[in-house]
Amino acid sequence: MELLITALIIAAVLFGIGLYGALSQTNLVMIMMGIELMLGAAMINLVAFWRFLHPDAFSLQMFVLVAMTVMALEGAVGFAIATQRFRTSGTVEMEESAELKG
Amino acid sequence: MISVQLILLIIFGLAAIWFGWRVFMTSSMVRSALSLLASMVAIGILFLVMEAEFLGVLQIMMMGTEMSIMAIFMMMYMMDPGGLGQMDMYHQKNISIAAGVIVTVFIVGAALAADWGTIATQFPGPHEQNRLLGMEILKRSMMIFETAGVTILTGMIASITVALSIKNSVEK
Amino acid sequence: MTPFLSGFMITLLFVGGVYFVAVLERCSMTGNVSWSGPARSFLLLFAQEEIKTRKHDKVFFETAPILFIGVILLTISILPFSRGSVVIDLGTGALFINAALVYIMVALLMAGWAVNGVYAMVGGWRALAQLIAYSMPVVMALTATVMRAESMFLTDIVESQQSLWNILYQPVGFILFYISALAIAFLPPFDLPVAEGELAGGVWADLTGARKLLFRLGRLALVLTLSVAVVVLYLGGWMGPWLPGFVWTFLKTLLVAASFFAVGHFIPRIRHDHLLEYNWKYGVPLALYNIFQVGVVLLL
Repeated sequence: MELLITALIIAAVLFGIGLYGALSQTNLVMIMMGIELMLGAAMINLVAFWRFLHPDAFSLQMFVLVAMTVMALEGAVGFAIATQRFRTSGTVEMEESAELKG
Repeated sequence: MISVQLILLIIFGLAAIWFGWRVFMTSSMVRSALSLLASMVAIGILFLVMEAEFLGVLQIMMMGTEMSIMAIFMMMYMMDPGGLGQMDMYHQKNISIAAGVIVTVFIVGAALAADWGTIATQFPGPHEQNRLLGMEILKRSMMIFETAGVTILTGMIASITVALSIKNSVEK
Repeated sequence: MTPFLSGFMITLLFVGGVYFVAVLERCSMTGNVSWSGPARSFLLLFAQEEIKTRKHDKVFFETAPILFIGVILLTISILPFSRGSVVIDLGTGALFINAALVYIMVALLMAGWAVNGVYAMVGGWRALAQLIAYSMPVVMALTATVMRAESMFLTDIVESQQSLWNILYQPVGFILFYISALAIAFLPPFDLPVAEGELAGGVWADLTGARKLLFRLGRLALVLTLSVAVVVLYLGGWMGPWLPGFVWTFLKTLLVAASFFAVGHFIPRIRHDHLLEYNWKYGVPLALYNIFQVGVVLLL
């Protein structure tokens, strides 16, 4: 039991740090880093649930693979957007991208 | 009861948290990306401690590549001062700290309050895990796995399309 | 033979192998065999003054060489030298090789970044592009060997070659793995990150003394490690008549290492764009074809 709780608390703190980073940074790539930390925390949770609650349910491990796919995709699409922002406006600061603001 | 597994879990968990914290506390972009890499490797070692061997090794492998790519993109777009310049890269700092702390406290509270039922003691060994995960992927979850593959293809096409440079010239 | 004695023998042979690789490297560069040369350059680097560049990144400057050599020692510890003599028999050994090789790239990147010099940084980014590209054929070629063995234990992969070595069973995979091993160890003709001619030493340009020594030793051990990997995955590992297993492993390993340096001796350095183009356009599709071919042969 204490193993599961420890893993969950570690994941919770990592998620909090990731949320803080994603909200507070003004830079697109740094925001992506925050999101990656949050996904990493989610993966710790999934593995902990697999190991300590349902070791016979391999759809949980499958879910971790899907989360890794999401991480890689988030990286690829995020970098593409960063590249395009840099081409059009010369910076990836999110403070300066307010074109869609009504 | 304090077991070796618990001690390792705490040590590498603290390492993951520390490096995750360093990501947002340094003004050098490469250091920031490599701190994130260290944090992700610590998460991978946590998987190994929790006896999910395949996932741990896979995590360590994938994150090495991904975070190195992140480092080069940060260098390209952010004019790294090498930790010498003081850059102001924050906004809404108080709200963010409040959000982070509140969410953390909420999740920890939920984790402590929930009734987790019985803790499993029997689990398959590494070799058996590999086989069972393969069976899961190729039998019950095959559709999900193929969807993930198609999603990667879509992501590749989408990111290339987005990153193409826009040419405003009209001549053919 | 007792496990302790065989472990001792293997360590001794490994250290000797590293020395032999150093002699080979020297021979491939200068053309003459000098048995005392590596020892002299070891002492030279050992006693050399440690020059630190201006405004270097302190953390990475210290950790990069240690990460480099640590990763290589981890890789060597999972490779089986003979039946039963393997330090850690991982259930995901084949994947672990690739995971460890990725961190060579990270160590080069850190070293190139840390010294705060132009040549080193260009070398570091080159290493990033090169090693990402060439870890793709490695992991796909490994997949094909795992498919034949139906197990990720490296010992099982060796056992699966009892009837026919993998070099004959999947020659395409062997060629891809061999070339990628050259690229991952950044040996000539793939030595772009540390190119002497154009980057004045690249990643290692500004390193002196103990750090350079760790990198040099790590590179030699890396060549030996990749040779052992080629032997274990494609050349039947410890299998061979009359002699004990680990002797066969080492004989084959030294042969493979010598062939690495022979290739580098005769082929000029590849241009960086060609290097990436050949891999992504021809290497990766060939690796996929290799997986397909092995799958078909396994089903027949």
